[in-house]
Amino acid sequence: MPEIQFRQALRAAMTEEMERDDSVFLMGEEVAQYNGAYKVSEGMLKRFGPRRVIDTPISEAGFSGLGVGAAMAGLRPIIEFMSWSFTLVCLDQLVNNAANIHYMSGGQIKCPIVFRGGNGIAHQLAATHSHRVESIYARIPGLVVVCPSTPYDAKGLLKTSIRSDDPVIFLESEIILSDRGEVPDEEFTLPIGKAHVERPGAEVTVISYGKSMARFTRPAVARLVEEDGIDVELIDLRTLRPLDTLTLIESIRKTNRCVIVSEDYGYCGMGDAIQARLHKEVFDDLDAPIEVVHSDEIPIPFNHHLEEATMPSVERVIQAVKEVTYR
Amino acid sequence: MAVADEVAKRPSIRKTPRSDGSVELGYLRMMMLIRRFEERTYREYTKPGQKIGGFCHLYSGQEAIAVGIAARFDKKRDYLINGYRCHGHSLALGMSPRAAMAELFGKATGCSKGKGGSMHFFSAENRNMGGHGIVGGHIPLALGLAFSQTYRETGGVTYCLFGDGAINQGTFSETLNLASLYKAPCLFIVENNGVAMGTQVERSSAEKDLALRGSGFNMPHFHVDGNDLDQFMEGIADAIKRARTGGGPSFIVANTYRFRGHSMSDAMKYRTREEMEQAKLRDPISLYEVSLRDIGLLTDQQAEALEEEVSAEVEQAIQQADADPQPTMESRFEDALAETYPLEK
Repeated sequence: MPEIQFRQALRAAMTEEMERDDSVFLMGEEVAQYNGAYKVSEGMLKRFGPRRVIDTPISEAGFSGLGVGAAMAGLRPIIEFMSWSFTLVCLDQLVNNAANIHYMSGGQIKCPIVFRGGNGIAHQLAATHSHRVESIYARIPGLVVVCPSTPYDAKGLLKTSIRSDDPVIFLESEIILSDRGEVPDEEFTLPIGKAHVERPGAEVTVISYGKSMARFTRPAVARLVEEDGIDVELIDLRTLRPLDTLTLIESIRKTNRCVIVSEDYGYCGMGDAIQARLHKEVFDDLDAPIEVVHSDEIPIPFNHHLEEATMPSVERVIQAVKEVTYR
Repeated sequence: MAVADEVAKRPSIRKTPRSDGSVELGYLRMMMLIRRFEERTYREYTKPGQKIGGFCHLYSGQEAIAVGIAARFDKKRDYLINGYRCHGHSLALGMSPRAAMAELFGKATGCSKGKGGSMHFFSAENRNMGGHGIVGGHIPLALGLAFSQTYRETGGVTYCLFGDGAINQGTFSETLNLASLYKAPCLFIVENNGVAMGTQVERSSAEKDLALRGSGFNMPHFHVDGNDLDQFMEGIADAIKRARTGGGPSFIVANTYRFRGHSMSDAMKYRTREEMEQAKLRDPISLYEVSLRDIGLLTDQQAEALEEEVSAEVEQAIQQADADPQPTMESRFEDALAETYPLEK
C-alpha cells in the first residue's frame, strides 16, 4: 500500500468525490490559486477549474452561508476554513442554519455539506488561533462531527462525509497534515458513527481522537504496552457526534478502567462530555474513576514552553493510565 | 377620495387594460387574502385561549412586495428566501392558508410540521426556502441558492428579502460583496418599513439613503415603491432580466410601511396617529383597487365578492387547522438528521 501524507489523503478523497459527482465543489480562502494555505488542495484548481475550486475573500459568515444555501439547493459543497478558530465569526451559519434547516423545515430541505479545516492547538499561534471547537459543535443536534487521526481514516471518513446528506463538521489539525500512513489507491470508505478499536486489550480502555490520538495517546500507549506491560485497549473515536457509546461501554465493561484524552478544555469540554455519557452506564463496572486528560484551563499562551505545558502530553497520558491501573 | 389622490400622483404605467383583468384581480385577491390571514392571525393570537405561541410578525401593509415578486416568480427555477416576516410571501408563492395557519397552531399538518412556527415557514415544493429567524442570518443562504443557479446554469433568480434592520448585520455586507464577485443571480430586496422593531432607520443607519448602502459593491442599487404593486413590479423588472442573463445581483430598497407592530407584544408607541393615518392613504390594497377601478377592471361588487371569498377561505383554514392533529410525541425526534447512523456510503 502506498504511504501518503494526511493532506494528500484529504486531497485524494475530495478529488475522487469531485470526479464521481459534479455537485461536489470546494470553496474557501486560498484554496484555488494559492493551492491551499496548508497545501491540502494543491493542484485541484488545475484539475477542476474555477467553477469547482473557488477562492473566497475573508468573509467566513458569507462563504459558509453560501455553502449552506448551495446545499439547500442540492449541491454538495466542501467549505474549507483556514482554521476552525475562525468559525467563531460565523457560528450562526453552522449552528443556526446548517444544523437546523432539515429539522425546522419538517424534513423538506436537506443540507449535505462538509465544513473542514484545522482544529486545535497548532504551533505558537496564541489564544485566538488555538481553539478546540469540537465541544462547541458536538453538542448541536443536527450536526455530525468527524475527527480523523490517520491519513487512512482521513480519506475514508471524508469520502463518507461528502456523501452524507447531513452537515458534517470535519476536524483536521495543521500539526498532523504531514503525517504519513498507508492508504490504498482503490476505492474505500469508512463508516461515520463507528469507533475503531485500534488495539484490543484487557486492562484499561484508553479513548482519544484526532491530533490528541496521533501526538499524545498513540505514543503513550505504545510505551505503556512495551515498557510497563499494561494491556491497553486503545479506541479511536473517529466520530464525535453521533458518539459510538456502545463500543466504549462494551470496552469498559471488559477492562473496568478508562482514560479519555482530548486537547479540549476539561470543564464543558469533549472529554468531560464523553465521561458524563459513560459514567452511569459503567458505574458498577469501574475499578477506578474515569480519568480525563485535557488542556489546562487557561487561554493558550504563545510561548513555546508554556504552550507545551498547557497541552496534554505523552507523559500526562502515561501518568493517567498508571493512576487508574494503580501502578 | 384621499387614496385616489395618492393614485393620481403616481406615474402612469398602464392606461389601458392588457387583459380581461383576471390576472390583475388575482393579484388583488392575493393581497386581500394575505391581509385577511394576518388580521385573523392577530385575533387568534390575542384572543383568550390563545392558539398561537411564540413570536409572530405580521405583514399587513407590505403585501404588494410579496405579490409583486410572486407575479414574476418562475416556479421551475427561481428561489425565494426570507427573514421572519414570512407569512405573506409563503401564501403568495402558493402555500395553502391551512398549511400556514396549522403551522402557527403548531400542528402536524403545518408547512413545517409544527417545528418551525411563524418565523420558519418552508415549502420546498414552492421553492420557498424559508422564513429565517435570525436577522440577516439568511442573506448568505440566498447567495448559495443563487450560486447553485449559476453552477447549474438554470437561468433562475433568487429573491432574498429582509428588513431595514438586517442591513446593519455583517452578513449583509459580506454577502453583497461575494454576490457581486461571483455574479450571483440574486435580487437583494430590503422591505424598508422604516423601523427595525422600535428603532427608526434614522437611528440605525448612518447613511439615510438606504439605497446607498448597496453602493461600493459594483451592483445596481435603487429605490422602488413597495406599496404600489404596478410600480414595484415595473421597478424590479430590469434587475430580474439582468440577473437571468448573467449580469449579476442588484440591491433594491422597497419602501413600505407595516400597519401592525414589529411583533405581537409591540404597542407601537414610537408612532404617531398622524403618521399612521397618512400611511393608510397608501395602503397597497386600496391603491391597487382604485387603480383597477380607474381602468375599468374592478367594480364595487367584484371587490366585495373578493373580500367575501378570501374571508371564507381564511375562516375555513382556521377551522381545519384547529381540527388538525397535534404532532405525535415521537415526531419530535424525526428529521434532526437526514441519515441514519452508523452511516456507510
